[in-house]
Amino acid sequence: MQNTATAAPSRGMMPQLGRWLRGERLTTLNLFVTFVIICIIFASQAQFFLTLENFVNIGRTLGVVGIVSIGMTLVLITGGVDISVGSVAALSSVVASILWLQADVPLFLATVIGLLACTFVGFLNGYLIAVVRINPLITTLASFSIVRGLAFVLSNGQTNQLNDEAFKFLGRGEIAGFPVSLLLMIALYILFFFIMHFTQFGRNLYAIGGSPDASRLAGIAVRRHLLIVYTLSGFLAGLAGIIIASQLASSAPRAATGLEFTVIAAVVLGGTSLSGGKGSLIGTLVGVFILRVLDNGLVQTRVSSFYQDVVSGAVLLLAVGFDQLRLRLTSTFGGKS
Amino acid sequence: MSAPLLEMRHIDKSFYGVKVLDDVSIDLFAGETVALLGENGAGKSTLIKILNGDYTRDSGDVMLDGQPVHFAEPRDAEAAGIRMIYQELHYAPELSVAENLLLGRLPHRQGAFGWMVDWNATREKAREALKLLNVDIDPMTKMRDLSVVEREIIEIVKALSRKARIIVMDEPTAALTPPEVQRLFGIIRDLCKQGIGIIYISHRLDEVFQIAHRVTVLRDGKHVGTHPIAEVTHKALVKMMVGRDIEERAEVRKNAAAIQLGEVVLDVEKLSKQGAFEDISLQVRAGEIVGLFGLLGAGHNILTQTIFGVEKADSGQVRIGGQVVQIASPQDAKRAGIGFVPLDRKVNGLVMGMSVRKNITLSNWRTLAPLGIFSQGKEMQNTHHWVDQLGIRMAGGVETHTRYLSGGNQQKVVLARWLEANVRVLLLNEPTWGVDVGARSDIYDQLEALAAKGLAILMVSSDIEEVLTVSHRILTIYKGRLTGEFMQGDATQEKLLHTAAGGVS
Repeated sequence: MQNTATAAPSRGMMPQLGRWLRGERLTTLNLFVTFVIICIIFASQAQFFLTLENFVNIGRTLGVVGIVSIGMTLVLITGGVDISVGSVAALSSVVASILWLQADVPLFLATVIGLLACTFVGFLNGYLIAVVRINPLITTLASFSIVRGLAFVLSNGQTNQLNDEAFKFLGRGEIAGFPVSLLLMIALYILFFFIMHFTQFGRNLYAIGGSPDASRLAGIAVRRHLLIVYTLSGFLAGLAGIIIASQLASSAPRAATGLEFTVIAAVVLGGTSLSGGKGSLIGTLVGVFILRVLDNGLVQTRVSSFYQDVVSGAVLLLAVGFDQLRLRLTSTFGGKS
Repeated sequence: MSAPLLEMRHIDKSFYGVKVLDDVSIDLFAGETVALLGENGAGKSTLIKILNGDYTRDSGDVMLDGQPVHFAEPRDAEAAGIRMIYQELHYAPELSVAENLLLGRLPHRQGAFGWMVDWNATREKAREALKLLNVDIDPMTKMRDLSVVEREIIEIVKALSRKARIIVMDEPTAALTPPEVQRLFGIIRDLCKQGIGIIYISHRLDEVFQIAHRVTVLRDGKHVGTHPIAEVTHKALVKMMVGRDIEERAEVRKNAAAIQLGEVVLDVEKLSKQGAFEDISLQVRAGEIVGLFGLLGAGHNILTQTIFGVEKADSGQVRIGGQVVQIASPQDAKRAGIGFVPLDRKVNGLVMGMSVRKNITLSNWRTLAPLGIFSQGKEMQNTHHWVDQLGIRMAGGVETHTRYLSGGNQQKVVLARWLEANVRVLLLNEPTWGVDVGARSDIYDQLEALAAKGLAILMVSSDIEEVLTVSHRILTIYKGRLTGEFMQGDATQEKLLHTAAGGVS
């Protein structure tokens, strides 16, 4: 049974936030419980785990997956998927390093061009999906392969040094003790949380994912929205690629291999539905955090790295499976007459 | 008289402490059709689901041939000869009629090739099953190539091919044309002659008078009454279902005779689309409700879709308020001030997993979010305005997902969206399909109120009663061409059916 919501008109953002929390509460609660259980297990096994220092370490690893997950959340909410993100992430730094090292383009400008290249790839994905109407999985599977190939072609398969202090600041620098990449990620989450919950654009993305036909007949420019979303996803993946290159002080064509799976896992773990129309950035953030904590904890407890992927997969199944079970229970016992 | 085929006595059922069935009884004799009536939420589906073993009853008895039975799951009910034919048919569209009929029990070959399907036997078995109802359908036709009524008939054949004793039909005529309905009724009468008992659920009262022997009415989970059909009137049934008198439309009409019509708002000139409609010219004035009546497939549904920019016209033009508008997409149409209530609100009208509030404001960001950012307070205010004005009822307030609303309330949400978007022209496609009597009357009232405020309304419908009740002026369409025009006072069922079937007016 649903709560009887208040009929009085409520104003401002706080009631909106309250409603949002009510709707997503159970999913978020599941995640939180999962998170606490994981922490307890690790804390009992490794002394260093529950220290501030360790959590700063974890914070350093959040940025890349966190930023790409924003784009992926938006894409999944529209009912699509983008599996080209790992390849696109590799492309940005490869383009930047080639321009800088071989064409003497200033590194800042080279980086911007690298980002533009990724944005363009995202735009092409969007064009093929929204206008030519090729299935998103097929489209981005193709660009996943093409873009990775291009990264190898452009770099000739070589890893290039990117030894520049200003460049390294993005990935390694700190402001007031916080990693720059983490701060950037948080800023982006705040921005996109606002967009998704308080703007027409965000509202429309949910509508499109919920029912593309009804959205079109309601006068929403469905194609334009999809185009923007995939373009954003490309841009954010490119940005993550720059952060990776900055952390490693080098660009490699095989960078960010498998990133798409980590990202999709984090987003789905955060309660976003693969069938579209449902999901939230807060959930995604928690999902990213859980996966990162899991990685860190497994290293701390000296679990063989071979097992780490097994555990990540199992946690994903458990969390999502539990959610399905809950849904089934509510629909069986709370069904309409 | 012998024991009834089926008796359900004093059935109670609660969900989470809310009583949805309260001491409900129904009985059914062999060879009889009992109509089960009630508004949405009256408890019809719950009762049927208990009969079918989907739900377990809290108390009460179910008896077959006077013997108490207990169905723990649908399989038990099926073994006892109870068959359900749901509104939404379940079939595999790419498989043949024969395969669908014998799904899960296809005959296999003999001997060494026992793992292979025996297609000859399959065809023969299917043909025999089809003969039960004298249906002339090739068993090898793909399911998706059949018409809706044919698919429904296949569903009935499927039910019969496994020794049915009781058949429950849930709104079987929702998607059928009048001749198809008659074909279905013929089959139902045959079934009764074979001694099968039928529970017939429908919102269309005229059908109930044609086909049912007795009628049982539920309201708010309670049994209101069971009567032989000859002893009740249309008006009495409506009162039993709704619990109050619904004002006779004719009365309302008389008051509305002095309607003030304004300027021509929607002006369609020589609109043509290959294979759908040809040379359509029509005008709708401010304050006018024009009904466009045709049988299914006459082209009227595609016409409204074309005006709204969902489909492309080959030639012709549309003027709104005297201005020629180029409409290539629903966005253009919305900008021109046209709203559209589509045929299938569940798929095309609403985002079911979104709240009432968000669905209502989906098309209006010009005033609610001028810079793209929602004015939350205003959104709430406008939502409540329309909820009150149109009388949209939902259990959990405006944050309820539209999925959980009844058909009538869902339709009102679609209406509210276009009113919120401040349109001048409203195109409606079959506005009351699957909507119960009370809510239907509400929607008609709303349409009249909207017209009175100066909206131009073009309503496409295949429901002749609806067209006659609501429209100020009626056009008929047959095979993509307009065939007749009647003012409200002159139109009769006979005239409309005559011209809509291609006759000359």
